[in-house]
Amino acid sequence: MASASVYRGAGFDFSNTVRNSFLEQRGVPLPKATSTGTTIVGCLFKDGIVLGADTRATEGPIVADKNCEKIHFISDNIRCCGAGTAADTEFTTALIASNMEMHALSTGRKPRVVTAMTMLKQMLYRYQGHIGAALVLGGVDATGPQLFTIHPHGSTDKLPYVTMGSGSLAAMAVFEAGWKPDMERQEALDLVTAAISAGIFNDLGSGSNVDACVITADRTEMLRNFVKPNERVEKERRYVFRRGTTAYKSEQIRSLVVEETVTRTGEAMDTS
Amino acid sequence: METAFGITGKGYVLIASDTTAVHSIVKVKTDVDKIKELSPFLLMATSGEPGDTVQFAEYIERNIRLYHIRNNFPLRPPSAASWIRRSLADSLRSRKPYSVNLLLGGYDVSTYKPHLYWMDYLGTLAEVPFAAHGYGSYFTLSLLDKYHDPEATVEEGLATLKRCIDEVSKRLVVSPDRFKVKIVDKDGVREIEV
Amino acid sequence: MSIMQYNGGSVIAMVGKDCVAIASDLRLGVQSLSITSDFEKVFPVTDRLFIGLPGLATDVTTLREQFRYRVNMYTIKEEREIEPQTFAQLVSSTLYERRFGPYFIEPVIAGMQKTPAGGYAPFIAATDLIGCLNFAKDFVVAGTASEKLFGVAEGLWEPDMEAEDLFETISQTLLNAVDRDAFSGWGAVVHLITKDQVITRKLKGRMD
Repeated sequence: MASASVYRGAGFDFSNTVRNSFLEQRGVPLPKATSTGTTIVGCLFKDGIVLGADTRATEGPIVADKNCEKIHFISDNIRCCGAGTAADTEFTTALIASNMEMHALSTGRKPRVVTAMTMLKQMLYRYQGHIGAALVLGGVDATGPQLFTIHPHGSTDKLPYVTMGSGSLAAMAVFEAGWKPDMERQEALDLVTAAISAGIFNDLGSGSNVDACVITADRTEMLRNFVKPNERVEKERRYVFRRGTTAYKSEQIRSLVVEETVTRTGEAMDTS
Repeated sequence: METAFGITGKGYVLIASDTTAVHSIVKVKTDVDKIKELSPFLLMATSGEPGDTVQFAEYIERNIRLYHIRNNFPLRPPSAASWIRRSLADSLRSRKPYSVNLLLGGYDVSTYKPHLYWMDYLGTLAEVPFAAHGYGSYFTLSLLDKYHDPEATVEEGLATLKRCIDEVSKRLVVSPDRFKVKIVDKDGVREIEV
Repeated sequence: MSIMQYNGGSVIAMVGKDCVAIASDLRLGVQSLSITSDFEKVFPVTDRLFIGLPGLATDVTTLREQFRYRVNMYTIKEEREIEPQTFAQLVSSTLYERRFGPYFIEPVIAGMQKTPAGGYAPFIAATDLIGCLNFAKDFVVAGTASEKLFGVAEGLWEPDMEAEDLFETISQTLLNAVDRDAFSGWGAVVHLITKDQVITRKLKGRMD
């Protein structure tokens, strides 16, 4: 029975799958989960790492969100960029962030990036690629700056500079040309901005603004909308319709309570 | 081919359904009653997979009756519609779902209002002034759009229904030859000869 | 044809100055056959919060029932009404729970969110069918006419519209977009939410 229950178990609910495959065999194709074209990057520099992402979310050929956030919180010193199925990156990183907090509380130590990486790869491997999350994980912990990529099937890489998503080729071209070891903070940030911009302007799945995040041993700096190269100019004219343009057949107005005052009546209860 | 339609009027709902049972290319029976009387003020016409329609209709009929016995009053039309929809939606999530489309007509004795519901095998529920299922719907919905009057008397309603039956008989390739018509109003459910 | 287009229907929500609006068309069809023209897809959640559920009609009803149930449970347990932001997370996790067997619905949420200062701020959000949230600052759309709605809304929306101007903008956006969509239309309904009232208007639309 698909009836709602007060107590819900953890994990996925498969109660609709029988119906959905029944509908599929009746000849109606099932919609594909919305996948996002993306450019996400990460790069190592002298004191830490810089993560970067574009801010476009797409549903097929449609731009669904022009300024979404793709750099997700894992812990104070760890962040994770997500590409692939938007909902999967969102929920996978949220789950791991939660588990990392629990882990940190139970061990009493600051969380390490490898721990997050292992949790993520083990989860993604368990789901055999059905959870379509492609991630760039970066942070600074007791062992120094760490940068990983994690693929939807659970494989991982540890590299000094990484890119992922549909704009990864454009971004990697920039990294290959400009990356060198032991860069200064500003150099690294400029390089990441250039890599993301290459994705924004050369990959149709990526667009809008550059988000960046600089993580060093002593602080994490989230630079939301660090560069906005596609700001919309103000409209030259207004297109507001004259009031009364739209004809309506009926109208119902519900007035709501905005403020309430309590008036005490009678004597106070005897509490002596 | 299977066809059912229903129309509301002033204080009543009319439901008509064909009466043929078909097996492959053979007409097996021509006097099947496809409109179940669920309660004193509730009618349900079913169409769809032959075995499923009867099984499902009887399951619904028994449970509506059980509710009536347990509570001493029958389920009102909107509640009955909700419950039947839920049954279909749950069935759709099982290994062998019921493939049943139905029309539910009822008279609410506490608000004195007629209700007609259109429902399909997916569990899609809509309250409508008139409705049709099967190939006949492609002909009759346009007719009903033009001739339906929510304030019509029973005689006027029956005349509109007659138009629909005539149209289906005339234009549908394998048209059903007989229709059974039932009404539900303040006096309860009963069959009407057309 | 995709299952998302099977019954037809579209929803849009827009932000104005101290107000929000959410609107839907009224068609229910089975592929190209129209069944009824009073199938509402926008439902009240609390006084100042609405949810629009365009998509497969059977799931519209199932999800509306489920959300009503879970919001009622929340209200009883917490002894307060659910806030739009919280409700959006509830919707998102309800849909993501069924990641591998989804409901065919793309919800749109619109409401007035309580601010710490005691006022109300406009809130809109939308999710895809597996619950990926999109918090927009201008407008959100969903349904069979979503592509057209995106286009028209992008041209007509502007910041800080008064309630009555927002009504005209959302109404004209919806009506003109659904006129170019075969599976949406047959009338429309608009809910205009401000801090002290909710105005619901049924619009006249083309019936073809």
